[in-house]
Amino acid sequence: MFGLMALILAVLTIAAYVLGRRRATAAAGGDLSVLHSRPVYHGAYAALLTFLAAFAAAAVAALVLRWFVDGSLNSLISELAPSLSSIERDLVRSDAAAISGGGFPSRVDELRQTVAARHGTLAGLSAVLIPGLALAAGLATLWTALKRVNVDFRARNLSERIVMGVLIAAAVVAILTTVGILTSLIGETARFFSQIPVHKFLFGSTWSPLSGVFEGRLDQERVGALPLFAGTLLITFIAMLVALPIGLFAAIYLAEYASPRMRSTVKPILEILAGVPTVVYGFFAAITVAPVIRGIGEALGLSVASESALGAGLVMGVMIIPFISSLSDDVITAVPQALRDGSLGLGSTHAETIKKVVLPAALPGLVSAALLGFARAIGETMIVVMAAGQGANFTFNPLEAVTTVTVQIVMLITGDTEASTAAGPAFALGFTLFVVTLGFNIVAQRLVRKYREAYD
Amino acid sequence: MTLTMENSVGAPAAQAAPRNDLKFACRGVNVHYGDAHAIKDLAIDIEDRLVTAFIGPSGCGKSTFLRCLNRMNDTIAICRVTGDLKLDGEDIYAPRVDPVQLRARVGMVFQKPNPFPKSIYDNVAYGPRIHGLTSNREELDELVEASLTKAGLWNEVKDRLDKPGTGLSGGQQQRLCIARAIATKPEVLLMDEPCSALDPIATDRIEQLIGELRSQFCIVIVTHSMQQAARVSQKTAFFHLGHLVEYGDTTDIFNKPRDKRTEDYINGRFG
Ligand SMILES: Nc1ncnc2c1ncn2[C@@H]1O[C@H](COP(=O)(O)OP(=O)(O)O)[C@@H](O)[C@H]1O
Ligand SMILES: [Mg+2]
Repeated sequence: MFGLMALILAVLTIAAYVLGRRRATAAAGGDLSVLHSRPVYHGAYAALLTFLAAFAAAAVAALVLRWFVDGSLNSLISELAPSLSSIERDLVRSDAAAISGGGFPSRVDELRQTVAARHGTLAGLSAVLIPGLALAAGLATLWTALKRVNVDFRARNLSERIVMGVLIAAAVVAILTTVGILTSLIGETARFFSQIPVHKFLFGSTWSPLSGVFEGRLDQERVGALPLFAGTLLITFIAMLVALPIGLFAAIYLAEYASPRMRSTVKPILEILAGVPTVVYGFFAAITVAPVIRGIGEALGLSVASESALGAGLVMGVMIIPFISSLSDDVITAVPQALRDGSLGLGSTHAETIKKVVLPAALPGLVSAALLGFARAIGETMIVVMAAGQGANFTFNPLEAVTTVTVQIVMLITGDTEASTAAGPAFALGFTLFVVTLGFNIVAQRLVRKYREAYD
Repeated sequence: MTLTMENSVGAPAAQAAPRNDLKFACRGVNVHYGDAHAIKDLAIDIEDRLVTAFIGPSGCGKSTFLRCLNRMNDTIAICRVTGDLKLDGEDIYAPRVDPVQLRARVGMVFQKPNPFPKSIYDNVAYGPRIHGLTSNREELDELVEASLTKAGLWNEVKDRLDKPGTGLSGGQQQRLCIARAIATKPEVLLMDEPCSALDPIATDRIEQLIGELRSQFCIVIVTHSMQQAARVSQKTAFFHLGHLVEYGDTTDIFNKPRDKRTEDYINGRFG
């Protein structure tokens, strides 16, 4: 079914392109310069229109048929077994679909066999109708499109307009999904805060939301997210402390000092590092780094938890280095050579040139790189789960186990507690994270705009 | 404060130049880019306090040789310079010479105006700050004003010194670059086709400026415009395929060239 549809669409589109082009060439009668649009545009116009029409016809037909088949099966089931509840009816329907499609039904009985037979007939009908309708719509459109081909027809402008429409549609989808996610985030968060006062959540220092659940109600005293904020801040801070200087210095070395050969070797390696899944960093942190930190700490007479913010932060920093260095390297390399020449020509050294001309010119990009690293650090979950623990300790001591906002969201959603109860705190945490990240971005962009040195 | 300009434009460029002190003395200069031989056994003496123009068809090595004079070629990894280049009798390629200090003495203005993306003030103050030429803010203010005045830009920008230099027009940007170069108090100004990105009016303004600056600096200008060379320079060097073909007073080069190639080039027969 899917393969057939793809084939029909492909054949129709290619045929439309070829025919449109040929017809335009024919209309020109040997002198292509009389055409308003070159033949390829006529071909593209016909192809675009035909593809869109066939695709739309298939989509509409599939939706309508689905609705019709379900209705028909439902009425058949009500006829044969009027006593079934709607949930049981749905179950029978899905079993029937499984029987007729060769799947694994939960039960096979006479009712299901009968419904399956009807389902088979209707499904066979759909399998013919959908491609058929698509083909018909495509052919009809192709025919009208071809009829419009003449020397004055503005296929070039029109096909551009169609492409623009498609681009706008894609942009709208992206925006709508974002809006949808935000709306649900805000809605759920508002529901959570209708039960829990905001200050108890933001400033409470005990986090154990599910242990206080009684008849689906959360205990106000145990949803204080302060320990999570502290843990997130602590780990992010440690990670940035590692990643920012190392990433930036590595980028400066790569962009300004390394020989081309060195650069072309080191950069891909860094990029590979960026592709290592964070799970791997996570167990590296838990199994290799944590014991080392513990060993050093004990040698110094400090008490170190076996899972510590320090271990998680360090490894997370290492994880972020390639992001920052690779992006910063691009940004620094993009600063025009003319600026460097200007500075060198005034008698400044290479280092002075970097410090006073190149880095200031690259600042907006460097801040973006740092922001990206920051966002990754705040959102990183895997490393923290494995290496920092899950205990919501309210502490700023990097040698203790802490937990972060993202880790607690995972715990809440994957735990056994009913989703309706656990989702509330999770959404509230997610929303807080969102607001903080957004605010951080806005502030950083303001700062960049204020201090930027635009070189273009 | 305003700086009074020494009146130096009195003598038309075409008049025979008086004998001046030698600034550069170059013998047996060869430049290679990897295997490509860009400058071939070149010898030239460049005089102080006048304008020397390098002309010649594109790719003949004018810029390459110009960049030898302040060792900007050092920044190109594959470029190798050999031979004897002396500035005031001192070998500028000697191991103990710091190219960075040399470039403070031999300033450079580039083909495309390249102001830093900083304020106009900071552009001009860049060199003085790096080299510690002034000891306090007032002195720096004075130096910035003096440099901008010499570059003929002060009146246009005195109310917007804190605005970015990149916001100026092309001609103003190029004069800002000249002011920036002057501010480090160089002895020599190298200019590589400084007007090729500018419109005729801005070009005229820069040419006038070069005439004014002549009395204080040794100026070497690369130009692809023979009219420009005739207008601004007292000495002209004609380059061809890496060779210095002919060098002499601008009037002589343009009126009675000795070499056939020079004559052909000046009469627009190639290049
Ligand atoms: N950075 C460089 N790398 C390699 N070859 C260069 C470089 N710069 C210039 N050349 C070569 O050196 C020769 C002289 O170039 P250039 O000095 O720029 O000429 P001009 O300024 O007279 O047009 C040309 O053949 C050019 O291709
Ligand atoms: Mg050149």
